[in-house]
Amino acid sequence: MDLLIRINKFLNKMLTLTGGAFLIGMILLTCANIFIRQFYIPIRGTFELMGYAGAVVTAFALGYTQFTNGHISVDVLVNAYPKPLKRFISIFNHGVCSAFFFITAWHVAQKALTLKNAGELSETLRIIYYPFTFAVAFGCFILALALFTDFVKVVLPQKEGKK
Amino acid sequence: MSLTLVGIIGILLLLFILFVFGIPVGFAMGLVGFAGFSYVISLDAGFNMLATVTWDTFSKYGLTVIPLFIFMGQIAFYSGVNEKLYTAAFKWVGHVRGGIAMATVMACAAFAAICGSNAATAATMTTVALPQMNKYNYEPMLSTGAIACGSTLGVVIPPSVVLIIIGLSTEQSIAKLFYGGLGAGILLAFLLIVTVYVLCSIYPSWGPVGEKTTFKEKIKSLTGAVEMLILFLVVMVGLYFGLFTPTEAGAIGSFFAVVIGLVQKNLSWNDFYNSIFDTLKISCMVIVIITGAMIFGRFLAITRIPFDIADWVVTLPFSKLTIMAIIFLIYMIGGAVMDALALLLITIPIFFPVAVELGYDPIWFGVTITIVTTLGAVTPPVGATTYVVGGMAKDVPLERVFQGVAYFLPAYVLCVILMMLFPKMVLFLPNLLN
Repeated sequence: MDLLIRINKFLNKMLTLTGGAFLIGMILLTCANIFIRQFYIPIRGTFELMGYAGAVVTAFALGYTQFTNGHISVDVLVNAYPKPLKRFISIFNHGVCSAFFFITAWHVAQKALTLKNAGELSETLRIIYYPFTFAVAFGCFILALALFTDFVKVVLPQKEGKK
Repeated sequence: MSLTLVGIIGILLLLFILFVFGIPVGFAMGLVGFAGFSYVISLDAGFNMLATVTWDTFSKYGLTVIPLFIFMGQIAFYSGVNEKLYTAAFKWVGHVRGGIAMATVMACAAFAAICGSNAATAATMTTVALPQMNKYNYEPMLSTGAIACGSTLGVVIPPSVVLIIIGLSTEQSIAKLFYGGLGAGILLAFLLIVTVYVLCSIYPSWGPVGEKTTFKEKIKSLTGAVEMLILFLVVMVGLYFGLFTPTEAGAIGSFFAVVIGLVQKNLSWNDFYNSIFDTLKISCMVIVIITGAMIFGRFLAITRIPFDIADWVVTLPFSKLTIMAIIFLIYMIGGAVMDALALLLITIPIFFPVAVELGYDPIWFGVTITIVTTLGAVTPPVGATTYVVGGMAKDVPLERVFQGVAYFLPAYVLCVILMMLFPKMVLFLPNLLN
């Protein structure tokens, strides 16, 4: 399980850093577009590129957000449950959510594949954009993996000493 | 089974897994929406909708505004701007009775103009303002109540993620919502300050007078804080005159927030790194909830529940005002038990058509429900902002913090009543945009 956690940590850190780089890129691209259009013409395809970069920023932060318990839940009742029930609920939640995001990742990847096979191009820049769709599928997969790791953590709790 | 019944079961199932199982809000809405859609149409259509909505939402240009404004707020937070805003407000009004508590509310309002996070504002203000109020023997209920309630201004005064999301989910102008939020936020801040004044008039020992400062000191205190407020003005004026879109405003704001932080040497590499990680985490959390709401919305749309409810509500034998008051009561109770953002995303598809059908202005409705739900950030059992203040104010028991908050609740109620009686208070600025 340690290996699973380490893989998760490493992947999430790398993906979040990549997402951060895309965020900086979005800021610079937008500022450049505002500046250049004052004197010349707007940078072509800015809206498109912003959308694709935004998709990468969100998708690559999915696992990290789960890893740091960043997703909001309503835990008013759950906090009051006895320990065994809380454990059962946690196993159920992580198991179901993990399966849901594996399914989501698979179907987004299928969509990306369809876009690739159809040779679909973006409207303004006329570039392929299926790699960004694959990036979203990968982000969902990493989230599913993070949820699966949480699932395993609850099912096979480590002894205090081992921690 | 009729579609309406399927829709009602879907809503009940969502509430059940949200509250009983504690599944994260975005995940729960996605799960129930997907299951319901698949049940009504087919499993293949459900898979297709799941993939399409996920990709379309993640890559939507309009949503890129979220990480950009969050980044601007995080940079301001890590640059220590709120501390400077507090110092400035303290120098200007600290010498009047209850002045430090008033200064705290003012600093919260000013910081809200850059950062939309209640928790970040509450945490910093507790660190900065509470020791000052303790030094001058302020009543802990007044000091902690002022910090907790002042921090809620973050989601009302633009740029606010909550207002952005209301705009995106109701297809209303974000700029108009921002200007509506500005009017409402100033009104709420004023009422919170009046509350401090009234409390200190009734109980003079609660807010002893602070030390006087010279005019030179007052002016000097503005350096370091005023730059960020100018940035806020640039963003708002740019939106007002249509010089840039909300997304562009977020990018400009982020860029210059970094530049100001670097020039003033308040932003280290570590702060920058933390700002990015926090931005990605918060914006991802928000966009996941939006994606879940979109999936759930698709399911609700095929059941026609929102439209049926809107049609049914307008036939009820109650006045418009009563129906709106009931809706606000639902938001108030809902906001007390769940996060405002999640609550809004779940309920907007149901209540927004009702408000429009009743003839209320969509901008007014969006801003007013923001004020109503923000109450949940300070009231039990969720009351996240109060818990932050209570957790950090080690020598003040949590009950006392909640008691302190209770003194400020009439200000919220009065604010909503004034907004209902005089909608122009909210709509004056947005209408100028026309």
